Amino acid sequence: MGEVVLACEGLKKRYGDLWVLKGIDFEIEKGQTKVIIGPSGSGKSTFLRLMGLLEPPTEGKIYFEGKDVYGSGLDLNMIRAKIGFVFQEPSLFRHLTALGNVKLGPKVVLKMKDDEAERKALEALKTVRLEEWSHHYPAQLSGGQQQRVGIARALAMDPDIILFDEPTASLDIELTWEVIDVMKDLARRGVTMLVVTHELGFAKEVADEILFMDDGRIIESGPPEELLKNPKSPRAREFLRRLIGGV
Amino acid sequence: MTFLGLAGGFVLGILSALGDVYGTKLMKVIIAGYVEFFRGSPLIVQLLFFYFSIPALTGLNWDAFTAGAVTLMLNSGAYQKGYFKGAIEAVFKDQLMAAKSLGMTFRQTLRHVVLPQALRIVIPPWTNEYISLGLSTSALIVLGIRELTNISKSIAAQTFRPLEVYLFASAIYFIWITVSMKVFDWIYERVRIPGLEVNI
Repeated sequence: MGEVVLACEGLKKRYGDLWVLKGIDFEIEKGQTKVIIGPSGSGKSTFLRLMGLLEPPTEGKIYFEGKDVYGSGLDLNMIRAKIGFVFQEPSLFRHLTALGNVKLGPKVVLKMKDDEAERKALEALKTVRLEEWSHHYPAQLSGGQQQRVGIARALAMDPDIILFDEPTASLDIELTWEVIDVMKDLARRGVTMLVVTHELGFAKEVADEILFMDDGRIIESGPPEELLKNPKSPRAREFLRRLIGGV
Repeated sequence: MTFLGLAGGFVLGILSALGDVYGTKLMKVIIAGYVEFFRGSPLIVQLLFFYFSIPALTGLNWDAFTAGAVTLMLNSGAYQKGYFKGAIEAVFKDQLMAAKSLGMTFRQTLRHVVLPQALRIVIPPWTNEYISLGLSTSALIVLGIRELTNISKSIAAQTFRPLEVYLFASAIYFIWITVSMKVFDWIYERVRIPGLEVNI
């Protein structure tokens, strides 16, 4: 058993009268890659935002490296700095170059010196194969390149885990591949990752576990070969049938 | 006078825009009242109101220059608030979320993400405010302040040559505004970033 990086217990979230998350228990260990699949509206993105400490839960607890993050007066920003987040839309800072985007966190949040932050940022851009594009502004990059800058921005913080919220959902198929390739690379290097995606190829190749979410709950989980070939719950079966074979 | 009004209005404009976008309900109501008051009445009325009523209401005595400057600041701030609000809102929520995910505080986000973009976006509409405020300083004539229009008026009265004098005054306004616009265009080009152009 490795060290648990991020975990939650009885996690619930309500917007107005609507319970979007209805009680989730989850944990992920250092070096693992877990993939979340499920129909839209099942609460996947909300779950991820809660785990990234971007929104507080209505009920339940979140643990980062064993510590209850909302429990004991911890500096949330310092924990957020250790949890990388890659959004569905690249969400880059539009007034900064690729390098500027990646450099900002190390410089402002981690208080690195300029040249140190720059070295860190260039290293991250190299990992996502964009070192030659470092001086381009977001508007001058393709969607796939922007998304990779987003990944580099998370990487440069030396996070203990990176959360991905459908990072390829708004990309064309070819651009999807370049992003997925980078993510596979990261998974093989042992970066801890929690990924919401419907790229089953990615899940099959690198995931340690797939979680199927529906209606605010994790309905089923297991190793990819098992869950994808032989889902136990009827809802997962139906979902996968549609996802793989059309309607 | 124009510069005083603009500078004061700049500070007021940014602050009230930030308050309106990120502030509490009460702040929003106060700011809305302020903006409505100054945008909903003519500048001349505001000038007279501040010059004559504030001393009457508070016993505070101020000269025409101070009253004029304060009114211009408040008036310009109300207009500038609208431009800044548009510019701040043009920095989309997804970027604020991204900054949060990096662990940035609200202040760091304002300084490194929101303001650098908002200040660039605001330059074109801000140029308009500059021109409009510059031209409306002629309203200061009602307080007897010696600005261009007022001076022209006395010269015209002394020389009995209103045509030449007012033509000359117009030319000064015209040259001043043309030069200023060139300067702002130059600044805009200098700090322009590809893809950041937003129409607000």
